[in-house]
Amino acid sequence: MTPVSGDVASLREELEIANRKLAEAHKMASLGRLSAGIVHEINTPVGSILSNNEVILRSLGRIKISLAEALEKGAPPPAKALEILDIITGLAAVDKLACERISGVVRSLKTFARVSDHDIRKADINELVQHTLKLSGTVFRRHVNFVADLGELPPVECFPALFSQVLLNLVVNAAQAIEGEGAVTVRTRQEGGSVLVEIEDTGRGISAADREKVFRAGFTTKPIGEGTGIGLSLSREIVVENHGGTIAFDSEPGKGTTFYVRIPIEHTRTQQ
Amino acid sequence: MTPNAQPAVLIVDDEDMVITSIRAFLQLETEYRITGLTSPAEAVKFLETNPVEVIVSDYLMPKLTGLQFLAKAKELQPEAARVLLTGHADKQSAIQAINDVGLFQYIEKPWDNQQLLLVIQSAIERTSLLRTLRSKIGELDEAHSNLKDVQSRLLRAFL
Repeated sequence: MTPVSGDVASLREELEIANRKLAEAHKMASLGRLSAGIVHEINTPVGSILSNNEVILRSLGRIKISLAEALEKGAPPPAKALEILDIITGLAAVDKLACERISGVVRSLKTFARVSDHDIRKADINELVQHTLKLSGTVFRRHVNFVADLGELPPVECFPALFSQVLLNLVVNAAQAIEGEGAVTVRTRQEGGSVLVEIEDTGRGISAADREKVFRAGFTTKPIGEGTGIGLSLSREIVVENHGGTIAFDSEPGKGTTFYVRIPIEHTRTQQ
Repeated sequence: MTPNAQPAVLIVDDEDMVITSIRAFLQLETEYRITGLTSPAEAVKFLETNPVEVIVSDYLMPKLTGLQFLAKAKELQPEAARVLLTGHADKQSAIQAINDVGLFQYIEKPWDNQQLLLVIQSAIERTSLLRTLRSKIGELDEAHSNLKDVQSRLLRAFL
């Protein structure tokens, strides 16, 4: 009997490794689909910084010349020089904002791009939600209003990179379900020994015929290139198997969908 | 553009920081009249009453995309040169822009100030040539219709 159970154990281990690789591949695919938005989000402030830097350098050169000329004549500083100083002070303020924008996107990206985060650790779920909304916003914020309604939460024992992947899947799905303008609201709250994350959208909803299939691997209603069909099945696996939690949804066609994710504050399972 | 008035440039980008940067650069290097708007809908209203030589527009904007906005701008001021300034590095959108809205130039973010200035300068020249051409065509049409009038009066006088 031992060899059989040994085989089972080794098959199980192989399956776990394959699942991990699948989760990793899916995470990279999700980020890949957001990349155009992320590039745009970074290129805009980079463009401003580069332009401002050139303008500031040229302006300083002109101020130096006009001040030197004024000094030589014993005249007061020319009004034009003071005007240019005002402009470059404004540009320096823009540069600060632009750098903060870039660093915010990079910080959010780091949460997801972590290659190995297989250890359970205490994480701030609200912070993970905010990073998710920031990244999703790079692509969808021009037609989707992202709302964070975050309750007070204790640190939660989880696999932060995996749980972030669940949040990203659900928030991107929610935004993609919206045709025209709409809103995605993420709420968090503590319920006894668990935390609940609700992701609500005002999108097209899920038809009665599709409801049973949404967690099935390979099922997707999205066009090729927008979805892999494994996002929700993987999310369920991460929530249920890796975190001992639950995932469910309510949906009304034409009005929207709400997903409910619950995970215990203290991790009780040992797999992963 | 009225005689002696400086060329007018309209910059439309939902990111205020882009407008601030381009405006500061153009203020330093040129005497152009610069208007910057963050809402494409407001920019459409602006174009209804204010002639401009060049329109520089972002691609990704809320409510109206850069292409939709530039299509409206083309209807309102067909001679004004249209420039798309975008961080959305997508060849398809560039091709679509060139075909659909008769784009003068497509510039990618992060942009190069010297390249942007060259594009704006040539765009102003093109718009001014187009407007001169249109006014000359108008003058020719008028002269032609005057000639026809003279011709018909001559015919009437002789017949």
